[in-house]
Amino acid sequence: MALILVADDEYFLAVMLADMLEDEGHEVQTAPNGQAALALMREARPALLITDFMMPIMTGLELAEAMHADAALADIPIILVSGAQGGIAREKPELFQAVFDKPYQRDGLLAEVERMLNGKG
Amino acid sequence: MHDMSRLTTGISGLDQILAGGFIAGASYIIQGQPGAGKTILSNQIAFSHLRDGGKVLYVTLLAESHERLFQALDVLDFFDRSKLGNDITYVSVFQTLRDEGLDAVVKLLRRETKRQGATLLVFDGLLNARDRAETDFDVKTFVAEIQGQAAFVGCSVLFLTSSSVKEISPEHTMVDGVVELTDTLAGVRSVRQIQIRKSRGSKAIGGLHEFEISDGGITVYPRLEALADPAIAALEPATGRVGSGLAELDALLGGGIPRGSVTLIAGPTGGGKTTLGLHFLSQSSADEPGLHFGFFETPHRLYAKARSLGIALPASGSPELTLHWTSLSDNILDKLGDQLLGQVQKLGIKRLFIDGFGGFERAAHHRPRLIEFFASLVDRLRALSVTTLATWEIRELVGTDVTAPARDLSAILDNMILLRQVEEDHRLVRSISVQKVRDGNFDSAAHLIEFAEGGLAIGASLHHELASPSVDPIDG
Repeated sequence: MALILVADDEYFLAVMLADMLEDEGHEVQTAPNGQAALALMREARPALLITDFMMPIMTGLELAEAMHADAALADIPIILVSGAQGGIAREKPELFQAVFDKPYQRDGLLAEVERMLNGKG
Repeated sequence: MHDMSRLTTGISGLDQILAGGFIAGASYIIQGQPGAGKTILSNQIAFSHLRDGGKVLYVTLLAESHERLFQALDVLDFFDRSKLGNDITYVSVFQTLRDEGLDAVVKLLRRETKRQGATLLVFDGLLNARDRAETDFDVKTFVAEIQGQAAFVGCSVLFLTSSSVKEISPEHTMVDGVVELTDTLAGVRSVRQIQIRKSRGSKAIGGLHEFEISDGGITVYPRLEALADPAIAALEPATGRVGSGLAELDALLGGGIPRGSVTLIAGPTGGGKTTLGLHFLSQSSADEPGLHFGFFETPHRLYAKARSLGIALPASGSPELTLHWTSLSDNILDKLGDQLLGQVQKLGIKRLFIDGFGGFERAAHHRPRLIEFFASLVDRLRALSVTTLATWEIRELVGTDVTAPARDLSAILDNMILLRQVEEDHRLVRSISVQKVRDGNFDSAAHLIEFAEGGLAIGASLHHELASPSVDPIDG
């Protein structure tokens, strides 16, 4: 069991993903944008961040850059799930450890989560 | 000249009825039932705005995921995934609305508009915002705040809603314009229409205009008779005569068809209308390119028919003659008009044969406007100096009780030729008679016609009179 943070402005997608992860025994927090996610992870450091790209106030890319620049958060692994910006994210492997294109397969994403949490990422 | 104060929609027919497009910095409601086309319309406008160098913020409140939306838009030509997240950003404010309310949404949108440098804000889900508002005053305040802050930075706003916003609704009074999309049934066919319900500071063309959704997105066809054409009033009538392709008919007409006039050929099926048209088109040349605009024979069948009659048409595919065939299935009246006038202008057509007006009649789901439509079409053809022959089918296959179609239709046409079939001694006798020629003398006697080698052969004048009350082609 680990704390996982999910950032997505699309509420139902965030809730669905959170439910899936909770079913696997994890504790999950959700945030509707990058800034809110940053605030949450400074309060309670998650083992993993799963973030959307296109979000209001702070995008997934800006969030990843802010984490990268913050020594306290720089080593939290990040999975990006995106409809259209997967390509941009794949060009930045230093920021994103994995990229999934929406719509993604549940099993594939969950396997990647387990792989990262078990330190094989 | 580019008008900086306008936000063009990129949909030419819509820009026409909006008198040049939306007013930049103004706000509009786009309303219509689910499936009416609001989402396609607003995304098409958004991507057109990107091509004009604008930036778009697309805000949703709905449960449908953005990815689902993108998948639906993927099949449309205007949609470009590479623009997502760069020039156009889709964000959901559902959670903000649910957790923090309308004020928080207003604040978030102000920040996002500024952050993205958005020049167009699309807000999809005004109905949901309404549900969250406790009073009408809250809705009014919400709309006022969104459009106020957008206008302050020169950003235009489109509010999408599936509710029917009444004229007394608070939102209606706040916005600069209301565009309504409808999808209704006319008999068994579906008819999509767009109406500008309100347009502050801009002289929009009112009433209903049909539109269609295809891979190219939305195409709007403004009602032809509602569009002003300054060229018509300034028209100097063309002079001279052109050959019909039949010397005997030219003689009956008093020396050929008046150039730039519109002639109706009325008659029953099998009476020789199309053959007359083929004679006329056989005279097409590089100087006088011809167009066959028909609903019945395909180009292939027309050439076969001309060959069997011994009428020599310019070669298929040559610039001298173009055959444009449209099937009779679900047509849009103004689309037909647009296609016809478009071809005539593009190809510089001087000889036009329309076979026939019935194809237009069948496309009209609101028949009372047909006379105005034809009058407008005919005016435009005259303004383009096109000599036009159009057919009108008369129901009775055999009979003597026919002369002129509806007086209303006759009045807008310049010339009229009537083809008849009568039975004499158990034999079908065909005749032709000229009923009317604009500003000219003509031979009104009915003459025998026969199908012969080389096409129609016009023979002697008939000796007896044929009784002839009129038939109304619109209501008849």
